Amino acid sequence: MMKILKYLPLIVLFTSCQSDEKVKLEQYYIGGKVIYEQNCANCHQKDGKGLQNLYPPIAGSDFLRNKEQVILIIKNGMTGEMIVNGKTYNQPMPANSQLQNLDIAEVVTYIYNEWADEKKVTTTEEVANVLAKAKL
Amino acid sequence: MNTPLKFLIIFVALATGLLYSCDNSSQKLPILGEREFINGDSVYHTIPDFSFTDQNGLEITNKTYENKIYIADFFFTTCPTICPVMKTQLLRVYDKFKANPQVGILSHTIDPRHDSVAVLKEYAKRLGVEGDFWHFVTGKKDKIYELGQKFYYVTTGEDSTAAGGFIHSGAFILVDKKRRVRGMYDGTNEKEVDKLMKDMEILLAEQ
Repeated sequence: MMKILKYLPLIVLFTSCQSDEKVKLEQYYIGGKVIYEQNCANCHQKDGKGLQNLYPPIAGSDFLRNKEQVILIIKNGMTGEMIVNGKTYNQPMPANSQLQNLDIAEVVTYIYNEWADEKKVTTTEEVANVLAKAKL
Repeated sequence: MNTPLKFLIIFVALATGLLYSCDNSSQKLPILGEREFINGDSVYHTIPDFSFTDQNGLEITNKTYENKIYIADFFFTTCPTICPVMKTQLLRVYDKFKANPQVGILSHTIDPRHDSVAVLKEYAKRLGVEGDFWHFVTGKKDKIYELGQKFYYVTTGEDSTAAGGFIHSGAFILVDKKRRVRGMYDGTNEKEVDKLMKDMEILLAEQ
């Protein structure tokens, strides 16, 4: 009995830590969904399936394997040919320079949780590191 | 026969008559635009002669659309905002009507400097558009803008503050076989495009 009481504060701490993480994930997911629908859904569609051979899909895309590239593309846009799931695409993607690191962290969290089976937050630090590295 | 029953029969007869007179096949689309009266006849606003080049390098003029109803819109291939949505909607019209020789789609680029014939060809191919049904045309910028603003009633213009550099309306214009504007629809709105497709059937049935 005493043992359980001794460990109770620790247990409470752990479970409340977990729900903190969950809360953060939910916040980022919801914030990211809004950003996605305002900035990305026009071309990539709300369901992430893209449009014909014009705009590549995000849902189920093999390109998601490289999260660093995804972060860079979202911020800087991209031109030139790219292959997604075996199909070639060649439509320029505009930069989203107005998005701050937090915005990008949120939209990446949304994309990966919604369409890449991730169940965690992509942090602003991660985004900042990727963008800083690219500037070198 | 007693009185209430007589009334009932008359009422039912009238109601049925009224219902049948609300016949959908006699529905007509309005003719939009200014109207003039010349020698006692109404002269309606019509789309003037035009000449552009499509994604296959072919000349497209008003003659291409003789005996056809068509949808006109204005876009540019690097547009990040409304054009993708408009094209998604136009693909619905394309899928539904592409086998019908009396129908066509005419998409004008408002960025002819970037959207050359080769760019348009690539764009159409990637969109999954084949054949003669849907022409993506380029040409002289001021001619396209003038046609858009004055005759199709859509706003088009360069705007450095707009995303992509151009500001333009997302409207789809429905034109009949006599080159008259019969409807304008928000091409970014799925329900309005539903209505457009219904109106196209009505227009096709018109004699």
